[in-house]
Amino acid sequence: MGKDDLNDRIAKAQAKIDAQERPARMSTGKGMGLGFRMASDFAAAVIVGVILGLGIDAVFKVSPWATIICLLLGFVAGVRNVVATATKANSAPQGDVTKGEGDGA
Amino acid sequence: MSIATDPMHQFKIDRWFDFRIGDLDLSFTNSAFWMVVGVLVLIAFLAAATSKMKTVPTRMQSLAEIWYQFIAGIVKDVNHAPGKPFIPLVFTLFSFIFIANIVGMMPYWFTTTSHIAVTGFMAIFTIGLVVLVGIIKKGFGFLKIFVPSGVPFVLLLIVTPIEIISFLSRPISLGMRLFANMLGGHVALKVFAGFIPSLAVALGGVGMLMGGLLVMPLIVGVTALEFLVAFLQAYVFAMLTCVYLNDALGEAH
Repeated sequence: MGKDDLNDRIAKAQAKIDAQERPARMSTGKGMGLGFRMASDFAAAVIVGVILGLGIDAVFKVSPWATIICLLLGFVAGVRNVVATATKANSAPQGDVTKGEGDGA
Repeated sequence: MSIATDPMHQFKIDRWFDFRIGDLDLSFTNSAFWMVVGVLVLIAFLAAATSKMKTVPTRMQSLAEIWYQFIAGIVKDVNHAPGKPFIPLVFTLFSFIFIANIVGMMPYWFTTTSHIAVTGFMAIFTIGLVVLVGIIKKGFGFLKIFVPSGVPFVLLLIVTPIEIISFLSRPISLGMRLFANMLGGHVALKVFAGFIPSLAVALGGVGMLMGGLLVMPLIVGVTALEFLVAFLQAYVFAMLTCVYLNDALGEAH
C-alpha cells in the first residue's frame, strides 16, 4: 500500500465522477468558448496578414503586392486556425477529461 | 449625445493624479483605481477563505478550493505534468480577468478589461512567455512549430508563412477577444437600457408600458448573459494560455 496506490484510486474515482457530471456541466460553456475562439482566431489572422503586408510594402516599396499576398495568406491562416481548433475539439471524446482541447495529435 | 444615453462614455479614462516621468505618462487613472479595487477584492476573498484552513472546508474555503481546482484541472488536462509550474500563473491570469470583468458588471464601476491596453498587454505577456519557455526548453528546435513535419519542400514555402501569420495572430486574437467582448457587452447593455427612456419620451405612457414589459426582461436577460461572458472570457483566456504553452512544453506534432 504505497502512496501511488492511493493516488491511483483517487484518480480513478475522480475520473468516474468527472465522466458522469462534467460533460453536462461544462458543455454549454465549452461550446460557447469554442465559438468565441474560432471567430476571433479567424479575424485576428486576417488582421495580422494585412498589417504584415502593409509593413512589408512600406519597407520594400512594393505597394500593393505584399498587402495583397499577405491578405490572402492571412485568410488561409485564419481558416487553418479554425480548422485546427475544430479538429482538436472533435477528436477529444465527450467526457474524456484526460484529453483536453489542443492537447496535440 | 448626452451622458445618460451615450454608450461610449462609460469607457472614458480619467486622470485622477497627474504623474509623469519625462515623456512617460504614469498618471493614476480610474482604470488603474478599479484594477487596484479588483486585486484587493481578490486578495481579501482568498485570504479570508484560506486563513483558517480546515480538513472539512467551510463554505468560503471550499469555494476557493473549487476555484483553484478548476484552474489546476485545466492545466493538468492540457499540459499534463510539465504544466505544473505554470498553475500559479494561469490562476493569476484567470482570477484577475474574472474579477476585473465582475467588478465591471457593477453599476457605475469601471470595466478595466474593456481597454485593449490592458488585455493586449496580458496577451503579449502570455505569448512572450510561451516564446521564452519554448526557447529555454528546446532552443532553436522551438522554431519547428513553424515547419510542420512531413510536408514537401515546395509546399513549405507557402505553409511556413501561413504558420507564422497564424502564430502572430495569437496575441491579437487573445487580447482582442477579451477586449471586444467586454466592450461590446457593455455597449449593448447601455443601448438596450437606453430604449426605455427613449420609448417613454417618444410615446409617453404607452412607451413606458412597452419599455417595462418588453425591454426590461430583455435587459435582465442580457445582464445575465454578460455575467456568463465575464466568466467565459476569463476561462477562454486561461485555457488558451495552457494551449499555447503546450507548444513550448509538449512534444512536436
